Amino acid sequence: MTLRAQPAAQPAPPLLAVENLVTTFRVRRAAWRSDELRAVNDVSFEIQRGRTLGLVGESGCGKSTLGRTILALTPAASGKVRFEGVDLLALSGARRRDYSRRIQVVFQDPNASLDPRFTAHDVIAEPLRIHDAYDHGRVEELMRGVGLSPSVQDLKPAQFSGGQRQRIAIARALALSPDMLILDEAVSALDVSIQAQVINLLKELQARQTLSYLFISHNLGVVRHIADDVAVMYLGRIVEIGPTHRVFSQPRHPYTRSLLSAVPAADPRRKASRDRIVLQGDPPNPLNPPEGCAFRTRCYRARPECRSASPPLAAAPFDAGHRVACLFPHEDQSR
Amino acid sequence: MRLARSRLFPLDIVLGSALLAAFLLVAFGVPLLPIYEPYEQDLMASLAEPFARAGEKTYWLGADALGRDYLSRLSLAARVSLGISVVAVGISLVMGVALGLVAGFFRGPIEAAIMGLGDLQLAIPRVLLLIASAAVFGSSIGMLMLLLGLTSWVTYGRLARAMALSLREREFVLAALTQGASSSWNIRRHLLPNVAPNMAIIASFEFGQVVVLEASLSYLGLGVQPPLPSLGLMINEGQLYLEINPWISILPGLVIFALVAGSQFVSQRFTPENRGAGLSRVPTV
Repeated sequence: MTLRAQPAAQPAPPLLAVENLVTTFRVRRAAWRSDELRAVNDVSFEIQRGRTLGLVGESGCGKSTLGRTILALTPAASGKVRFEGVDLLALSGARRRDYSRRIQVVFQDPNASLDPRFTAHDVIAEPLRIHDAYDHGRVEELMRGVGLSPSVQDLKPAQFSGGQRQRIAIARALALSPDMLILDEAVSALDVSIQAQVINLLKELQARQTLSYLFISHNLGVVRHIADDVAVMYLGRIVEIGPTHRVFSQPRHPYTRSLLSAVPAADPRRKASRDRIVLQGDPPNPLNPPEGCAFRTRCYRARPECRSASPPLAAAPFDAGHRVACLFPHEDQSR
Repeated sequence: MRLARSRLFPLDIVLGSALLAAFLLVAFGVPLLPIYEPYEQDLMASLAEPFARAGEKTYWLGADALGRDYLSRLSLAARVSLGISVVAVGISLVMGVALGLVAGFFRGPIEAAIMGLGDLQLAIPRVLLLIASAAVFGSSIGMLMLLLGLTSWVTYGRLARAMALSLREREFVLAALTQGASSSWNIRRHLLPNVAPNMAIIASFEFGQVVVLEASLSYLGLGVQPPLPSLGLMINEGQLYLEINPWISILPGLVIFALVAGSQFVSQRFTPENRGAGLSRVPTV
């Protein structure tokens, strides 16, 4: 009894904990007037070491801005980004730099993410050179690590295929031995067969180096394959978050349900048995979001209560770890 | 016609190279000849026409009013004009690229200050600015190079800034930032190499303009001072004798033409449309 009252061991803090993060942009409407756009609105989540959080949502919902804010490429308006318990946003200068090199990024477009004037070797060596840690052997080791032969290290990015370029970008991101990668649509620009190869590479690297991933994508199938947990974003907010299998098998939020119903099924018999939920209208103007629940203008469950307040991201009953921001998470369970 | 269509020897390249070669021959070939005496005066040969003989000597391109061998004068003047223009282009290139990249990368008040200065300079006609500055600061060769350089950085600055604005948002710069690269690292390693080809093209276009500007200033007496010859100054000196020996003004004009037209024809070959596009698309400024 006394033993059980004490926590068995202090649980290690999550590798990355984002708390109430808000990112705003000023949008100039006229010379004298500018509006505030909340691209990321009160977002919180955690990523444990060696785990993958998939972040999905439609274009413009703030997925990439969230990634950029964590990387400090875009300033945060408020909130915390804790890395091993240390708030990165409160740090500055050299200390900040020490931490932020442990979170690296792979971008969507491998054409734009590699300097066209660099060779593959220079691209991968750049982070090492920035930190005065250049080592020719290390570059070759990194190339082999992502499945590239060091014999091609003197070629320019234009001479590689899309998949190879993305491998180079991954090798560059791994050069500083980070603990976490932010994969911002990292496979979206690739052919489907190449996507699979790169995803397998990412999984292999994760297993080998205990990497954590924040996997930003609009491709639900890919996220389902790679992510341990999934967060669904709509208009700057996370509307549903939970273990991947729970979210995919029992989506609670109407937005998640409609997203999942749009995924094409390989089996035509299954497809016939499913209801396709087609949302009405377009996403609201993020400069002027609806009061209350941001999704209510397109929601098939919407009721007058939805107008009153933005529903908090609350744990779904009987389902710890699966949280949903909806006042009526249990409706249409039969669908 | 066949020459113009030939892919191997396009007309503009052939013509441009020929003009440039002729210029370089005058500038650097003539001093090797035994007749090279740009300061030797022989009043008996004053205003001699081309190919005139006076005593032992043949004046291949005649002589000026003081009887100095005109071919030698032209050669020296060609080198003076070339040197001034090259240094002036170098000054404006370095200044324009540096200011433009800094403005485009850092944005904010730095950008406003730099580009404001550039707009201010553009609002005043360059020749007027040069005449006024030459009047204030006097005219020595060093001052001339400096003034020509300082008044023509804006072209480079504007394009460098425009390119920096787009490059700073490119993922390879963002990736370097997350790896802990400093601003100066990004400017040196990513921005500079990517704007360099375009800047070289601008420099080759600007070069012709600077040659003409230098000639104009020297023509007006605000540039190179006698006894040192310069192409513009020689056109001015020949004006008095147009009816007696028009070659004195025509020849330096031809040398200017060879240099400017030659460099333009050749440099046009290297514009992005003609070279196969890379990153170096020239954005509109």
